[in-house]
Amino acid sequence: MRDVIVFIEQRAGTPRRVSFELATKAQDLATALGGKTHGVVAGAGAAQAAEATKPYGLGTLHVADGGATAEYLIDPLVDALEAVAKAAGPSLILVPNTMIGRDVGSRVAARLDAGITSDAIDVTVSNGKVSTVSPKLGGLTITTCAFKNTEYGVVSVRPNVFAAKAGTTATASIETTALPPKTYAMKIGSEVEEAAPELGVEEASIVVSGGRGLGGPEPFTTLIKPLADALGGAVGASRAAVDAGWIPHAHQVGQTGKTISPSLYIAVGISGAIQHKVGMRTAGTIVAVNKDANVPIADFADLLVVGDLFQIIPELTKRVEAEKRH
Amino acid sequence: MKIVVSVKLVPDTNADKRIDPGTKRLVRTGVENVLNPFDEYAIEAALQLREKRNDGSTVTIFTMAPESGKEIVRKALAMGADDAVMLSDAKLEGSDVAGTAHAMSAALKKTGFDLILCGTQSTDATTGEVPGFLAELLGVPGLTYIRKIESDGTTINAQRETDTGYIDVSVSTPALISVTKAINEPRYPSLKGIMGAKKKEIKILSLPDVEFARAAGTDGAKTEVLELATPPTRQKGRVVTAADGAEGASAIFDFLKEKKLL
Repeated sequence: MRDVIVFIEQRAGTPRRVSFELATKAQDLATALGGKTHGVVAGAGAAQAAEATKPYGLGTLHVADGGATAEYLIDPLVDALEAVAKAAGPSLILVPNTMIGRDVGSRVAARLDAGITSDAIDVTVSNGKVSTVSPKLGGLTITTCAFKNTEYGVVSVRPNVFAAKAGTTATASIETTALPPKTYAMKIGSEVEEAAPELGVEEASIVVSGGRGLGGPEPFTTLIKPLADALGGAVGASRAAVDAGWIPHAHQVGQTGKTISPSLYIAVGISGAIQHKVGMRTAGTIVAVNKDANVPIADFADLLVVGDLFQIIPELTKRVEAEKRH
Repeated sequence: MKIVVSVKLVPDTNADKRIDPGTKRLVRTGVENVLNPFDEYAIEAALQLREKRNDGSTVTIFTMAPESGKEIVRKALAMGADDAVMLSDAKLEGSDVAGTAHAMSAALKKTGFDLILCGTQSTDATTGEVPGFLAELLGVPGLTYIRKIESDGTTINAQRETDTGYIDVSVSTPALISVTKAINEPRYPSLKGIMGAKKKEIKILSLPDVEFARAAGTDGAKTEVLELATPPTRQKGRVVTAADGAEGASAIFDFLKEKKLL
């Protein structure tokens, strides 16, 4: 492995923030490996997304927005990444640990006969050998894995663990990768937005989650969302709230939902059973609000406030909003 | 339609687990293996497809696990699947994602399928990377994060979850689909199902049976585990009982200030 290639996940011309985090991290890794850095931007809006990625200093940005990139979901992205990887030779490929990133990363690994590690919270280089650190078994262990050889390696990186820093040197060259017109087996139809686009729980550095204690769907809009907005964070939920149909599954934190590491996690009306804990125990700080002092979350929250969430949350939102106005 | 549900056996999330500092492996004593919770949704989706098609479609459970996992496979059969295939070979121990996907691919090619269903990820390794890897190796389209499936037998129409809703996708079989928990509510095995499962066939395949030509397990892995560390366990923190909203809000506000989170 010499070069480092970053898959820039983007949507309609806007890269996900994790793409910038990976672009920033790639430069340290490439320096340690003695190679160059590349970004691969594909799909509708790729040229615009490449412009937005420029300040993050990747050596070359490869743009693929022709061919069938707009009509198909994953396949053209894999083709674009594979083409750049094959041209660069044995390299380290970073993808975000997101739904799209995992799909693209695993499939390109299969094509390149590469090793793959996942959900990395750190990536290091020692004597030319790349290692990654990932929580496993729901955060019970922290596993360090190394690639045995220096052929291709793919790593999916957890969002929100590396800082995104615009560098002093912007990307000098943008190259267009021509993808030939192609028909893929999987066809995509219409996209349905059930909720307004907002910050996802995986990427947010602050997450405010609601659970069974909310008693219904309304408090997610009247209590949880306003507090999350005031803090600049995202809305999460426990399995109980999702199973009751109060909020879509995309918001679920925990074993059958998302595993996250925000710097602050506020659990509102959530008891904190093991299935929830495994999804958020690597958060920096955990604050819980519950009417019951004897809930499991009492054993691992940094602060538990025992009281009426319906009174506490609106007051807290007001305080935070007032603070932000200063 | 031949539907194969690929499942994994994982340590129970509810069990008290620890890592042996010497062997750097999970202490298995007292830790029961269970069916990966995500896979129950895939089994349910397969059973519903079979019931809806009602055309002689079959549901086969597939897993790569030691033979000792047979009893858990039987639980999957008790939900209503027709039969099961296990790829069991001591040489597979120590397989990484790439090695696992290659071995599964060889076995699934041997077994044959029109549609493979699986869960989104496992609760132990949580990579979520096997479905995509496997689809690529099998040379079939991979539909991942699916929350709704309809099929006329040859075409699959499905909804893929997005961060804000869903996107309609469709393919022709053969294909591989990974499902999310939003797809259904898995059934509990009935007493009749449990009794019936005892008579169902669980075929055991070894690596030579599936003509696996690559190095397997630890030898074939492209990655190796260097270290397993136990993260510091979270400690019980401060507990404040708030008489009213203002008091509770102040407790949190001051705490966030103190932690420099505001």
